[in-house]
Amino acid sequence: MRALGVLLGKELGATFTSPIAYAVATVFLVVLGYTFSLTLFFTKVANLTYIFHQMYVLLILLVPLLTMRAFADERRTGTAELLLTAPVADVSIVLAKFLASFALVLALLGASLTYALVLGRYGDPDWGPIYGGYLALVLLGALLAAVGTLTSSLTENQVVAAATSLGVFLMLWFADSISYLLPVPLDLVAINVSLIGHFTPFVSGSMFLSDVGYYVSLALLALFLTTRRLADR
Amino acid sequence: MTSLPPPIVTVDRVTKRYRGRVAVHEVSLTVPRGEVLGLLGPNGSGKTTLLRILAGYLSPTSGRATVAGYDTVDEPMQARRCIGYVPENAPLYSHMRVDEFLRLMGRLRGVPPCGVGVRVAAVATRLRLDDVLRAPIRTLSRGYRQRVAIAQALLHDPAVLLLDEPTNGLDPRQIIDTRSLIADLAGQCTVIMSSHILGEVEKTAHRVAILLEGHLLTVRGMVETPDLEALFLSLT
Repeated sequence: MRALGVLLGKELGATFTSPIAYAVATVFLVVLGYTFSLTLFFTKVANLTYIFHQMYVLLILLVPLLTMRAFADERRTGTAELLLTAPVADVSIVLAKFLASFALVLALLGASLTYALVLGRYGDPDWGPIYGGYLALVLLGALLAAVGTLTSSLTENQVVAAATSLGVFLMLWFADSISYLLPVPLDLVAINVSLIGHFTPFVSGSMFLSDVGYYVSLALLALFLTTRRLADR
Repeated sequence: MTSLPPPIVTVDRVTKRYRGRVAVHEVSLTVPRGEVLGLLGPNGSGKTTLLRILAGYLSPTSGRATVAGYDTVDEPMQARRCIGYVPENAPLYSHMRVDEFLRLMGRLRGVPPCGVGVRVAAVATRLRLDDVLRAPIRTLSRGYRQRVAIAQALLHDPAVLLLDEPTNGLDPRQIIDTRSLIADLAGQCTVIMSSHILGEVEKTAHRVAILLEGHLLTVRGMVETPDLEALFLSLT
C-alpha cells in the first residue's frame, strides 16, 4: 500500500501536468458545452440523455490519448527498468497507472456536472436518469482506462497504443451489430459483449446489476492481463 | 592461506532466450562481497541481459541467480532491496526535478519517509549534485544525468550495485570521476559493471568476466591478467 501511494502520487503528478491532459479536457468540455447549449436552446427540455451519449462517444475517442503513455512511454525512455527493478509489486504499478488515468476521467466527468447543476437551477429535471447516466459514465471510464492501460503495456509506441485502444473500444461498441449474422448462441455473446448495450439502460434510468458487473469484470480482467503482461519478461 | 569471502551474488547455469535467440547461455559465476567485477564483451554478448536478470528486470529461461541469498525470481522483493541498478543510458523521469526524482526513487526502494530527505542530501553531496538538486532533469548534461542515475541506485545503501555501461557517452573528465566513484564504492558494496571498453574494466575491476555471444569465456583476476587486451583478443 505504501508503494502504491508513492507511485500514485508520481502518476497523478505526471498526468495532471501533461499537456495532453489539458488538450483532452479542453476538447471534451468545449464540444460538450457546445452540444449542451445547442440541445437546450432547441428542445427546451431539462434532460441530459443526449449529453450522456455525447460523453460516451467522447470518452471512447479521448481516453486512448490519456492512457497511451502509461507504459509505452516508460518502455520507450527506459524508465520501466527503474520502476520494475524497484521492490514494488507489479500490481501496485498497474493500479497506480490505472488510477491516475481514471482520476482524470473522473475530473472530466466532475467538470461536466455543471450541466446538471444548470438544469437543476433553472428547470425541473428527472434526476433518476441523471444519476444513472453518471454512474454509467464512471463505470465506462473505469473500463476504458483499464483497457487503455493494458494496450499501453503491449508496446513502446504511444501512437500504436492509442490506435489499438481505439480499435478495441470501437469493436466493443459495435460488437452487437454482427449478432444478426451469427448463429445461436454466439449472437447472444456478441450482444452481451457490446458496450452500448450496457450503457443505454442507465441513461434511461434503469440500473441492472448485470450491467454494473459487465463494466467491473471487464475492467478487472484488463488490469489482471496488464499485470500478467508486466510479469512476462 | 586466506579464504575468500562468501559470495553475495551467484549465477548458476543461467540461460535466457529471446524470441528464439539465446542471449545468455548456461552462465555460472559467483561474486564475493566487496568485489568489483567487470563484465566485458562486445555489443550483443549478453552483458546487459545478465545484469537485467540480476536486477530482476528479466527472468532467466533456465538456471537461477541469487543476490544476498535471495533468488531473483522466487524472492524478488528481498533480492531487489539488496540491489542498486543503473541501466544503460541513465533513463530518468525528465519532467521531474532532481530532488523530486531522488525522493521518489528513495521511497520506492524502501527508504522511510522520515529518512528520505537525509539520504537524498547525503547521496547528493557524495555525488556532487548539490548545485542541481532543484534543477529539472531535462536540463542536465549527460554527465549529471549519469550521476543522478547512480545516486538513485545508492539511496537505500544497497549491498550490490549493478552498473550497465556506466561511462557510456561521458567526456574524459566525467569518465575519470565515475571511475573514482566506483573505486570509492568498492569498499562498501559489491559492484558489477558492464563495459565493452577494455581500459575501463582494467582500471576499475578486481576481476573480469569475458562474455561472447551469450557464453561466459573466462573469469580472471586483474592481478593475474597483466595484458587484458591480449587475453581478450585470444578468446574472442
